[in-house]
Amino acid sequence: MQSVSSHSTARENTLQIVTFEVGKATLALDIATVQEINRSLKVTKVPHAPRQVLGVTNLRGEVITILDLHIVLGIKATAKTSASRNLIVNHDHELFGLGVDRVSDIMTISSELSPPPSNLQGLSRKLLRGVHQADGRLVLILDLSEVLKTRAVSEAA
Amino acid sequence: MFQDDEILREFVVESAEHLADVESQLLEIEDGGANINHDLVNTVFRAVHSVKGAAGFLGLVKINELAHNLENVLNLIRNQELVPSHAVIDRLLRSADLLRNMVNDVEASNGFNVSPQVEELKQILSGDFTNDLEAQDVAHSLVEVAQTVTTAVAGPRSGSSHEQSLEHIASKQTQSVAAGVNSRVAESKSGQRVPESNVRVNVAILDRLMNLAGELVLGRNQLLQSINSHCDHDHLSAVAARLDQVTSELQEAIMQTRMQPVGAVFNRFPRVVRDLSAKLRKNCDLEIEGSDVEIDKTIIEAIGDPLTHLIRNSVDHGIELPALRTAAGKKPEGLIRLRAFHQAGKVCIRIEDNGAGIDPARIKAKALSNGLISEAEAAAMSLNDTLRLIFAPGFSTAAEVTDVSGRGVGMDVVKTNIEQIGGTVDIESELGVGSAIHITLPLTLAIIPSMIIGCGEEKFAIPQTNISELVRVPAAECHERIGHVQGAEVLRLRGALLPLVRLSKLFNTDTLSASDESNDNGVMEAPRNLNVIVVESGQYRYGVAVDALYDSEEIVVKPLGRQLKELNYLAGATILGDGRVALILDITGIALHANLRSCEELNETESDLPNGALSADIHRLLLFANAPREHFAIPMACVSRIERTATKDIIEVGGRLLLSYRGSTLPLLALEEYITARPREAELEHLFVIVFEVSNREVGLIAPSLNDICNVALQVDDSALREPGVAGVLVIDECPTRLLDLMALSRTAYPEWAEQTPQLAAAASKHILIAEDSAFFRRHVQQTLTDEGYTVTAAEDGQEGWETLKEMNPLPDLVVTDVEMPRMSGLDLCKAIRGDQRTRGLPVIALTSLASDADIARGKAVGIDDYQVKLDKANLLTSIAHYLKVKR
Repeated sequence: MQSVSSHSTARENTLQIVTFEVGKATLALDIATVQEINRSLKVTKVPHAPRQVLGVTNLRGEVITILDLHIVLGIKATAKTSASRNLIVNHDHELFGLGVDRVSDIMTISSELSPPPSNLQGLSRKLLRGVHQADGRLVLILDLSEVLKTRAVSEAA
Repeated sequence: MFQDDEILREFVVESAEHLADVESQLLEIEDGGANINHDLVNTVFRAVHSVKGAAGFLGLVKINELAHNLENVLNLIRNQELVPSHAVIDRLLRSADLLRNMVNDVEASNGFNVSPQVEELKQILSGDFTNDLEAQDVAHSLVEVAQTVTTAVAGPRSGSSHEQSLEHIASKQTQSVAAGVNSRVAESKSGQRVPESNVRVNVAILDRLMNLAGELVLGRNQLLQSINSHCDHDHLSAVAARLDQVTSELQEAIMQTRMQPVGAVFNRFPRVVRDLSAKLRKNCDLEIEGSDVEIDKTIIEAIGDPLTHLIRNSVDHGIELPALRTAAGKKPEGLIRLRAFHQAGKVCIRIEDNGAGIDPARIKAKALSNGLISEAEAAAMSLNDTLRLIFAPGFSTAAEVTDVSGRGVGMDVVKTNIEQIGGTVDIESELGVGSAIHITLPLTLAIIPSMIIGCGEEKFAIPQTNISELVRVPAAECHERIGHVQGAEVLRLRGALLPLVRLSKLFNTDTLSASDESNDNGVMEAPRNLNVIVVESGQYRYGVAVDALYDSEEIVVKPLGRQLKELNYLAGATILGDGRVALILDITGIALHANLRSCEELNETESDLPNGALSADIHRLLLFANAPREHFAIPMACVSRIERTATKDIIEVGGRLLLSYRGSTLPLLALEEYITARPREAELEHLFVIVFEVSNREVGLIAPSLNDICNVALQVDDSALREPGVAGVLVIDECPTRLLDLMALSRTAYPEWAEQTPQLAAAASKHILIAEDSAFFRRHVQQTLTDEGYTVTAAEDGQEGWETLKEMNPLPDLVVTDVEMPRMSGLDLCKAIRGDQRTRGLPVIALTSLASDADIARGKAVGIDDYQVKLDKANLLTSIAHYLKVKR
């Protein structure tokens, strides 16, 4: 378990993000919302829960819900690997776990984000705050509150 | 406008602390009267003074203004220039209330209107109004005198002009006092929404927590050391034992930080009692004991309102007016005792008064008029049960609804509120001596004892409070004890059928569930013992079949995240010893999820139907199918019992079916042999046999599959499908269902039995009058009786029956009547018969559909000789024969 400081040392007009991969997409979240990154946790399944809920887990005495980002984003599910991680995020004083395939990097970028391209395939533009271009890669920056609000989206092919 | 929120918050907290005790201190000052306790007055003075100072500094002008005037009056008292009379304290209390409200709503405080209170205080200060205030005091005592006089002289109404004028003054004064109290109640209500989100913790407890945390660190270090040095098992277990102890103690100490003295709630009651007794012109003392007893903060918060209601009730309904008390030989001052104490790991709170007590007769009368109980129930009710009626929804004992107790909040709400936090309420009362309300509360809500169970790979927790028993059904008995009613599983438990919910099916964790459905065809489930937990919650009682039973554990309840809030079958989650999360099941939610019908809903359908159609009869019918999609019904009243039997046990002797049964044989009827019906499927391994009695013989009807038992308003179409053995056709759940006439059926099957019926020959000369409004039943009964050889006259309702009877000469030998009829009911008909010289001696048999014991008692009271169930022909005939013989 590695902890990431939530105190951003960034200057004004910049944004620190954690980038990670879900399927083939590179995504990112504002580092201020990420409390920590965990390896696989013991997850208790919840019968009849919404599809995107993987289950609940014990995070040092608190019961938190783990969401599968594949299902939230409508990305084809991939098998768990040793690189799979759970991002523990804090939203509205409530903790959630987000299951991702790999955590890549921490980047400082300009807080002026470009809007998501209109020809974006597979996932809803509503879930994005914007995009960032880096080394020829497109990083999609997620809007956490929208991600947590979603009801299960049907799996895209 | 306020730059520094931090300072403002500090001001609120500090002022609230200062003002918290002012109320009780003022009341104490009032009690002291002219003997002024300087220290006490000084304390109040200082409290108000600090608020004033800080408010001035922060620019809270209105708070400052009010506090300033309050301080001035207190100063007068301190200097013994003013006697703290009732009226003076009244005004001081009112001002203190307002002050507290303003502090609690500090941002808006400058918008408060303080001038009425400031005016009141200034009046006292100016001295001119002291006399007036005292005059009010005098007026107040006059009211009491007037009261006593009025009650005492109520008999001789002479010299009433005097009284009237006195009363006039009195009522005027009380009105003004009452108005004051009302406004104050409203104010203090609005002030109660202070969010008390911080807890004051005793420093001693904090020290203990620090020590324990230190121990925990020490324990961890030892553990790490032990692991690194690969030391022996003994050493490791010593470390584990130490950690175990420290953790338990730590948990206990942390729990203690949540504990608050119950006095936090009790403190408001002296004021409540004082104000209310003044308003009602009663004289009440309040004695408080056990203010230091501690309970969990959440419980403290939850009991405030119910306790206030109970205390107000004691003053309003319990304690009598002084005059009445004196007349009853009691002291004029009533006494209310509020006590808190520990008992058997719980906290008890008792509210006792030495007032009038509760009159059980009045309660019964009230409950009767409200329709809560029937007369028969009332007669059979014990004293305790009668008293408990006051907790029933829709009950209020106050003859008139006063604005004191009857504020739309009944005792039922008190009970619900207390039960919600896991407590109980009970009442004791003795007429003329007093009443006591006894409340028990759990120490804490955060930890609940639970049963840990397994289903699939996961573990779940069921709160112990919901569990009534654990039942293990051995694999060998599963087949006999678990049945299907309309596709739903039921468990036979001590003669009753209990709905069964298989958790594995509900949660889709059972991979074998597909083969479950086909167990009728002989595919056996894996021979496994079945663990069933019988659970209860409010209106539900059912069995939960689980895969595994583990320990009973004390679990800590944790909330679930927002995505899971909508799952109503979950009450929360907890963390087990191994660190995994277990979900806590909500018993009511599971019942809803599994579509179980509650007892209450069943009762509702029972009680709703007759209102809709007064003359439609409600019958309890057993529904079964002979072949798929061919439905039949039998009145439950005719059924003696139901047996499950293996098909191979049915033997054929001389063209008739018999079941060897407990050493003897039971004649069986197969429907398809006597009425037009498709034959049952041949390959069934097991069958049900519905056993009923005809002419004192037991007969079994073969029923391949039982569907349901339901209450149905019989709307029978007896024109179609008429054949012997079928009484008519009715539609149940959109399926045409044939209602069987078991008597006719067995007569077709065994014609020789009918000839043995003894009364047939004698019946010919007997004449019977029947009154029945439903055409179907009238024809049915008439047919039955005519077949039996009786002469029958039929009437369409009680009224017609009575008119026919009056004209009949000679009289019939017996009357058979329905109970629920338009114009004149069966009971009224019977009353008329018993009231007339000529007809008084006639035997009357009432026909009912669902007769409760209470109905029967009511019928017997007006002179009905016997009750018979409508479709149970055999018993009706036996009864008729019995009464006719008795007559002879």
